[in-house]
Amino acid sequence: MKIGIPRSLLYFYYYPLWKIYFEELGIEVVTTPDTSKEIIDLGVKNSVPELCVPVKAYIGHFIKLLDMGVDYIYAPRFVSILKGQYFCPKFMGLPDMIRHSFDGVEDKMLIPMIHAQNDNIAEYKNFKFMEERFGVSPKANKLALGKAEKVWLEFRNSSLRGHTAQEAADMILNKPENHITATNRNPVKIGVLGYVYNLYDPYISMDLVKKLQSMDVSIKTFEMMEEKDLNKQLKKMSKNLFWTFSDKLLAAGYSFYEDEEIDGVIHVTAFGCGPDSMLGKLLEIDSTNYAKPFMTIRVDEHSGENHLQTRIEAFVDMIKRKKMKTRRGA
Amino acid sequence: MKVSFPYMGTTIVYKKLLELLGHEVIMPPKPSQRTINLGVKYSPEFACFPLKVIMGSYIEALEAGAEVLVTSGGHGPCRAGFYEQVHRRILEEKGHTVDFIVFNSMFRDFKQFYSNIKKLKDKNSWLKVIKSLWLVYLMINKLDILEKEVQRIRAYEVKRGETTKVWESIQKDFDTVRNKVQVMAAYDKGRKRLADIKTYEVKEDRKLRIGIVGEIYVVMEASINMKMEELLGNMGAEVERSQYLSQWVAYNALPSFINKTHEVDIIKAGEPFIPINIGGHAKQTVGHIADYGERGFDGVIHLMPFGCLPELVSQSIIPKISQQYDIPVLTLSIDEQTGTANNLTRVEAFIDLIRGKRMKKIS
Repeated sequence: MKIGIPRSLLYFYYYPLWKIYFEELGIEVVTTPDTSKEIIDLGVKNSVPELCVPVKAYIGHFIKLLDMGVDYIYAPRFVSILKGQYFCPKFMGLPDMIRHSFDGVEDKMLIPMIHAQNDNIAEYKNFKFMEERFGVSPKANKLALGKAEKVWLEFRNSSLRGHTAQEAADMILNKPENHITATNRNPVKIGVLGYVYNLYDPYISMDLVKKLQSMDVSIKTFEMMEEKDLNKQLKKMSKNLFWTFSDKLLAAGYSFYEDEEIDGVIHVTAFGCGPDSMLGKLLEIDSTNYAKPFMTIRVDEHSGENHLQTRIEAFVDMIKRKKMKTRRGA
Repeated sequence: MKVSFPYMGTTIVYKKLLELLGHEVIMPPKPSQRTINLGVKYSPEFACFPLKVIMGSYIEALEAGAEVLVTSGGHGPCRAGFYEQVHRRILEEKGHTVDFIVFNSMFRDFKQFYSNIKKLKDKNSWLKVIKSLWLVYLMINKLDILEKEVQRIRAYEVKRGETTKVWESIQKDFDTVRNKVQVMAAYDKGRKRLADIKTYEVKEDRKLRIGIVGEIYVVMEASINMKMEELLGNMGAEVERSQYLSQWVAYNALPSFINKTHEVDIIKAGEPFIPINIGGHAKQTVGHIADYGERGFDGVIHLMPFGCLPELVSQSIIPKISQQYDIPVLTLSIDEQTGTANNLTRVEAFIDLIRGKRMKKIS
């Protein structure tokens, strides 16, 4: 049996878990190639124009998978990974958008609801659907899940040690590392805020992370932050955002502002992203209070990348110059 | 306390409630071009349109001297639950000092709900509060009955614009009531005035009925949705909205186990399409379209703010519902662009199409 997983959205956060889990159950896992012009176009043609680019990309990947000869497509419905909080409505309705848009795909889709206490979604109930649908024995199911969870936790620990989610996944799944090591001649550290599915999709973010790394910039992202440090920031707010990953981004943003090692913050957001329209404004208002350079990069399905190159170069140059000045004591 | 609130729909009822409790109410002006401009200027660029309009309303209300803003809150997953936080920050940044009283669901945090009520209650007795609430609820109900009549009559009025004028003056009458007897008197007077409007006779099989569904703010607030109800009425179509204040109140004030309102059925009708609550009114939108389809409506206009998260999900599903129930649906996304010609053309074309479909059925 082959199960397909679209290389999009939370793939970038949970792929190690899903891959190991299905493989432990003796199922072949098929994923789509990196997002390409073709895949984005598929998504754009088959979705409502106002959707944000990551969701369009997901729909593109989904259609691509249908052509790749898989038996089922794993398309979980993310509802909540923290009590009282939710995902963006588009995540919660994503399986519905897809199953009502294309005839006959519903039988092929595996749509378990994801409810969890925290971002470790390896809870038994989230994977019980395999027993109901395919008669996997509870024992085998739990065993596979346990192994998968262990790998995923390693993946997270690797991120906490300072690797981006992508580097961590590559290392855990034993792929050749394509990490560019910064030479640290002129250490600039930038906090990059963005959802995993924007930041690590090389097409959507136009490889922003690697572009920065190749400019001798070391970066810090939300997945490198300890949960308790993030929570400390959130406690200061009178009311949290009720989307878990947005909350993490906001908390990471404030920690970056307070962190003296971080020289500037770049917020990568998709055109039309609802949660980001709120948290971006809050961070923008506060960036002046903390006197930290802050830049928003808004991505969509267009692919011209020169403007991006120019903007991040200018941003990094500005920071370098500022640091040089302070060193000279000017 | 000088109190104000966001402008939405028949605002006299909120005003009445606050007045009955002895507060000085600063009426926010009806959203105008200036309101929208102010809102757009200070709001995040990609925030949804209601946030921007309400931002503008708040600024205008503060200019008029408001000290406290009463609004609703929420806990997601739709952005509306976070409005007040963003508004508060922006107003602070702009240098205003203002208090917010935010009503979140009383089933979630009763303590806060209670303390809010107490703030508004001031020195009034609980009996007075309950009496006031009851009177306002009666008013909402009566106004909604009249409004539904207005939406029907407008399609057939002989003198264009008469119904709208009468409706405005009915609202003015309601604005002055102080007790139940006066509410009933205003209601009877309103009924009579509506009945006096001269209308054309239209054969039953020629009547067009259009439902309006979508996000509550753009559906309810005529000044920002190109006066959609009037527009459709003037084109000769009866209109029904998915949202009326009385329904909203009844649905939200009752705990789920005794909740037998129409909204419950609507949500059930939406279940096959969106099984869980994904925030906002997506499920209601979907359910209402199915409901209108079953009740034999001729078409549905779906209104949403640009980029509205839940409504994008319903918009994605609409083609399927439209097919299943054989009911045409036109989605219009509303934002600060005020050029109406393009939407107008689309609505006209939509009505023509529906009328054509109807004629085919008759012949």
